[in-house]
Amino acid sequence: MMNDETEQFEHRLSRQPLRQVPPEWRAEILVAADVNRRNVRAFTSAATIRSRVREIFWPAPAAWAGLAAVWIFILAVNFSLRDSSPRLAEKSAPPSPEVMVELRQQQRLFAELVGSREAREADRPRIFTPRPRGERTEIATV
Amino acid sequence: MKMPGSNEIERLYDAHAPALFAFLLNLTRAEADTRDLLQEIFVKLARDATLLAGVREERAFLIRLAHNAAIDLMRRRGTRERTKEKFAAEIISPFAPTSDPDEKVFRDELSAALGELPTEQRAVVHLKLWSGLTFEEIAAALDIPPNTAASRYRYGLDKLRDKLRPLYEEMKKAE
Repeated sequence: MMNDETEQFEHRLSRQPLRQVPPEWRAEILVAADVNRRNVRAFTSAATIRSRVREIFWPAPAAWAGLAAVWIFILAVNFSLRDSSPRLAEKSAPPSPEVMVELRQQQRLFAELVGSREAREADRPRIFTPRPRGERTEIATV
Repeated sequence: MKMPGSNEIERLYDAHAPALFAFLLNLTRAEADTRDLLQEIFVKLARDATLLAGVREERAFLIRLAHNAAIDLMRRRGTRERTKEKFAAEIISPFAPTSDPDEKVFRDELSAALGELPTEQRAVVHLKLWSGLTFEEIAAALDIPPNTAASRYRYGLDKLRDKLRPLYEEMKKAE
């Protein structure tokens, strides 16, 4: 008797129709799901690329590390050479006025020396003694 | 990671969304929360097809996902939100509207009585009465022993009967 009543009551309850999903939700939820699916696909593609790169580099990490170290060394040398050139330029800065005076004196002396020899050669009279053509020789200068 | 195509998600939605909607609405008593949870479930399915790999009973599995998501949501809510939930229980009904005044009164009373049940009992009562699951299926879906499912159902049903008895008797006489 009690069971019958319970069954009737259960039956009565279960016959109550439930509310339906609002129809506009379908498109909204499916779009959200699709966008997420695409994002995950893009993310997994990036992850695949990363794993491929890792596959390439991982078998000999020491070799790749060595290669990287060589490159770092080359770059360091390159930069250090580039840094030293302005320092050389700084060292060959304009000389002091005293040095300049000395240099000018030396130049003048040199010019005088060179100039006096040329002048002597120009001033020296040439001795000309007529000789037969076949006996002509260069005039000896002392 | 294998992902289901949009056609597969559409199939899953058409097959299970109505049942999940009613279940979630009965648990949360809030349409906005129900929508969020429903979307969360289908986004999860779209992201990872391995979720359904090897699953024999799709419905039971999806109910489990929905139940866990609803419980998480309710845990995240504070006391203030629970008060709001009680208020919402009076106005948000999981039942379809009707033009019959007697039926309307009965559905409103039933909705309010369901809202007063503890969530665990409400979940079992809903799955037994409106999803047509057996206690074994409910136990599998909610990850509880079948005996627990049966006892929760009995307690829940008794409370509903106590609440609805006067109205129910009156309606029976009228019939």
